[in-house]
Amino acid sequence: MKSEVERLKIGSVIAASIWRLVKVNPAVWAIVALVVIFSALVPDKFLSTSNLVAILKNFAVTSMLAVGPTFVILLGSIDVSYMGIWMFGGALVWLLYPYLGLASIAIYPIFGLLVGLFNGVVHVKAKVPSFILTIAVTAVLAFLTTYVRNISGVLTLIVPAYNFLRESPIPYIPSPFLLALPVIVLALFIMFFTKLGTYFCAIGSNEEGAKLAGINVEKYKILAFTLSGLLTGLGSIAIFVHLGCQTRVDFDPSELVRGLAAIVLGGTPLAGGMGGPHRTLLGALVYVLIFNGLFLLPGVDPNHLKLYVGTLLLGAVIAASRALKGALIA
Amino acid sequence: MAQAWLSREWLQRNINTIIPIMGFIALVIALRMANPYFLTSWDSVITLVYGMSWFLIAACGLTLVILMGSFDFSVPSVLKLSAMIFAVLYPSMGFSSIIVAIVVGLIFGFINGILLARFNIPSFMATLATSMVAEGLAQVISGGYTRMITDPAFRAVSTTMILGLPSIFYWAIVVWVICIFMTFMTPFGRMIYAVGSNIVGARLAGVNVKMVRTLVFMICSLLASIAGILYASQIQGAHMQVGVLDMIPLFASVVVGGTALTGGVGGVHRTLLGVLIIRWLDSGLSMLAIDLNVRMIIFGAIAITMAILTIDRRRIRIMK
Amino acid sequence: MGTLDPILEVRDVSKTFDRVVRALDNVSIMVRRNEIVSVVGENGAGKSTLMKILVGVYQPDSGEMYQMGRKVPFPRDPLDALSRGISIVYQERGVIPHLKVYQFLFLGLEEKFTRLGRLQLGKIIGLAKSVFEELGLKCDLASSMYELPPSTQKMVEIARAILSVRLMVGMDGEAEIIPVIILDEPTAPLSIEERDELFNYLLNLKKSNSFIFVSHIIPEVMKFSDRIYVLRDGRVVAHHDLSSEKVTEDQIFREIVGRESYYDLWARYVYGAGAVEGRRVVLSVRNLTKKGYFENISFDLHEGECIGLFGPAGCGKSEIAKALYGEIAADAGEILVDSRKVKLKSEPYARVKLGIGYFSGETGKELFLFWPIRKNVSIVNFDKVTKRPLKIISVISFNAERSLAEKIMKKLRIRAPNVETECYSLSGGNKQKVSVGKWLEKSPKILVLEDPTIGIDVGAREEIYEVLLEMKKNGIAMILVSDDPKEYAILCDKIISIRGGVIQATYTNEEFRRLMGL
Repeated sequence: MKSEVERLKIGSVIAASIWRLVKVNPAVWAIVALVVIFSALVPDKFLSTSNLVAILKNFAVTSMLAVGPTFVILLGSIDVSYMGIWMFGGALVWLLYPYLGLASIAIYPIFGLLVGLFNGVVHVKAKVPSFILTIAVTAVLAFLTTYVRNISGVLTLIVPAYNFLRESPIPYIPSPFLLALPVIVLALFIMFFTKLGTYFCAIGSNEEGAKLAGINVEKYKILAFTLSGLLTGLGSIAIFVHLGCQTRVDFDPSELVRGLAAIVLGGTPLAGGMGGPHRTLLGALVYVLIFNGLFLLPGVDPNHLKLYVGTLLLGAVIAASRALKGALIA
Repeated sequence: MAQAWLSREWLQRNINTIIPIMGFIALVIALRMANPYFLTSWDSVITLVYGMSWFLIAACGLTLVILMGSFDFSVPSVLKLSAMIFAVLYPSMGFSSIIVAIVVGLIFGFINGILLARFNIPSFMATLATSMVAEGLAQVISGGYTRMITDPAFRAVSTTMILGLPSIFYWAIVVWVICIFMTFMTPFGRMIYAVGSNIVGARLAGVNVKMVRTLVFMICSLLASIAGILYASQIQGAHMQVGVLDMIPLFASVVVGGTALTGGVGGVHRTLLGVLIIRWLDSGLSMLAIDLNVRMIIFGAIAITMAILTIDRRRIRIMK
Repeated sequence: MGTLDPILEVRDVSKTFDRVVRALDNVSIMVRRNEIVSVVGENGAGKSTLMKILVGVYQPDSGEMYQMGRKVPFPRDPLDALSRGISIVYQERGVIPHLKVYQFLFLGLEEKFTRLGRLQLGKIIGLAKSVFEELGLKCDLASSMYELPPSTQKMVEIARAILSVRLMVGMDGEAEIIPVIILDEPTAPLSIEERDELFNYLLNLKKSNSFIFVSHIIPEVMKFSDRIYVLRDGRVVAHHDLSSEKVTEDQIFREIVGRESYYDLWARYVYGAGAVEGRRVVLSVRNLTKKGYFENISFDLHEGECIGLFGPAGCGKSEIAKALYGEIAADAGEILVDSRKVKLKSEPYARVKLGIGYFSGETGKELFLFWPIRKNVSIVNFDKVTKRPLKIISVISFNAERSLAEKIMKKLRIRAPNVETECYSLSGGNKQKVSVGKWLEKSPKILVLEDPTIGIDVGAREEIYEVLLEMKKNGIAMILVSDDPKEYAILCDKIISIRGGVIQATYTNEEFRRLMGL
């Protein structure tokens, strides 16, 4: 009995969940395996300092695309609006910089929040399937970004004034990673130390049961979408800096898949109810390691990226499909 | 049940039909006003026919999948891949390359269907993954280059003039009619609606749900393949930009026709009207020199609005 | 206040739905401190309506409510009820499988444990521990709900109900409030041993709580209640105090079932037990097993025979029916249709081909609500309504469809304007008739019936029984699963009694009726 009392203290709850994480999460083993394989195949390239820094950078970017939407996936819905928030948010920063100066970067989280709120309200109130809705939103925002670029007659929407953000105060730790850290911490805090994480899981696990338990399901669904948008908006700053203080101006589906692949590889089932941002972080690392290592190998053509990404996503969803057995899915 | 004409209830029940027809009429009037030459010369009619024929074929396939309550993102990618295979293999294989292209399309459809039916992966996720693979394969086989075929026989598949209209028009109409026949007159079509309306009930009534799902995805990819082959013939070759911007207009034309995303409501017959609206709107907007990106934004907005209007909320308990 | 004074009482509660259906008619019940009060009755007797009024989901049309002797208004909503000490544990869907035990325990109550937006996990877990210790619940707080056995899940749900009352009322504050916990069919998902475990747990909790126990399973009601109210057709027809009077199970059973109304009905339709010996065996089941649900089920079904699988809710009978139809897959054993082996994992469509049909009374489950009657009927009858102009193409003939549907409508007296009427606009009884009607023309060899007349009125029941008996006379064999013993008496030649997933005994129709006192 005494040992159980000890185990249930907060610290040990975290320790226990980390232990569980390692036990139940194949992503950890995948990470170990990938590191071992690539270190053995291309040790000089893979383990070089510059490559490790690149891995950290890419990890920051991938996780920033995936951490926010994880909260929506917990509900059993899907949010792929991150691509649109990231792209058009950057265009907004560029548009507003002449008026707002350095403060215009704050438009990112505000815009993310608004897009998330819109998604949530339309999905919940008008009952449009979340995936179709958010992918349409992403497409609209992406085309808007390209349109902004076209009418302004520039090649890139670059804002050089933010270049100071690219300098990292800590050697070997790239600044996108430092910018991503607070978002990661925030996501983990929301998941584990507020009721929101529990509510999202509850809704994803058994929506009717959550209603019976007195949870305002509609409100928390909208909140999950809003939170997803806000976190993506915050995280987009790190990506913005990573790309040299500019945003993407043309839509690339393989970037869209990146976020989804990280979530699925991390082991948060698409049916919802379990998992969370901690798993997504692991999934993002797996994703980054695979592609980082792959392109170091001789004979791998970067032009065929889409083929690899598609195959990887296919494998990941099949591997994750165990959790979906039994449900009748559209 | 018969409701009084134009009563509130009648409007509610028939909104899926009213909006497309009104929209179409409004569109034709607007296009006439914006461009006095619209539909006045036979050449402009032929241009419009070229613009919508291959599109209609692909949209029919997507309609079948949406009727079943699923979604298929791989339509434009499979279309591109088939066009690419046809164009790349034509110099060496001649018209038997069509068979290769169609078989590849069917394989993609089969994979989509199996991922949903057997592995229970949500269709949008599965098809997103396969669409990436198809895109990647198209890149691999073409090396990213545009393939031009100058052989007149290659072109003839789609552009032979019959009664003043190109043959691709007749291909499209034949496909459309076959799809209508299949959905309304055959048990298989009834089963598609059954799966889309009440999948539990369909299973209990002895419908082989897995087979229906797999077959419908295969038909969808087959039609995407055919559309790709005909399109390649129409434009004398294939390039990597084929299909890139087609997902939103395709989706828009299906829902604008009045087929609900929730499945079981609507039909292939409606898709013709949806395709007419979207393609004519597209050509009208481009005539007004409106930026391609803005056109896509407009289609996206139309699609979402129509999706919201056509979804039958009585049927939904939990929406994911 | 004496211990015999009621802590919660409702008097003369009436409730009418849609101005027609009288769900409750002057019902009065009361709960004393530290007791288990049972409310029994069959489906539709008004039990759940009464409970929903107690927790504020419905408002009654008339009636009065008293708590601790004081007159109070009826609760406005579940939260209001909770703050007055009344909480409910729902029959199903209450458990949230992926939450950890402590998360589930405090779900919806986190407000009290939040400081500056941060959840005080330490406090929550500490309180959870002390509550579990007090209630004598042993389980790992950090495990997920779905990992717990069903009985423990129920106990955690009950603990959650008690805890939420305490937190909402502010237990250590003002006047004492004894929680009244309503348990809606709590034993439905449990096995026999698990039920005993649950009841021992409840007896322990009785010291500080009162329970209203809603059930239709008589033996367990008799074993654990202090008092019993019997509800029938929205009225309290009997009230027994088990400490002072002797009541038998039979007596309660008769009170639940009633002697009026459709007692006569079944008597008219009792099947003249025919000799089945000479007839062909259409279905043999050999040692059919699904782990955790049923074990070693074997029986033979003859042409034109109806076998009832009888037992308390949760005994595995409906799982057996589902396994026969392929809705779920059995693990081991054999199913033989016409001495041909059926794959255990095969889907319903394969069973339909072999001649097995399925009919459930659950609304909207197998009916296409937004389809016209015509399409609902032809979905299993394509062979009757299609032509083959070419070998590989079969075409539906709308005329054939229409005349088939008209034939069935006439035969079953389905009340609808025409065959194009969409099914959602039909009444419950007529919906059921459409569901069963589609099999009428298909004439499968075997028809699996699950609660065929649930939730419909006596007149419609009578018509459905007539149809089913007619089909039986024409040689269709049937398997019946139901909650209503009279249904077995009306339809079945043989009744197999099942408990805890195993066959206990087999009765003929006469033996069964004698046993049930029908």
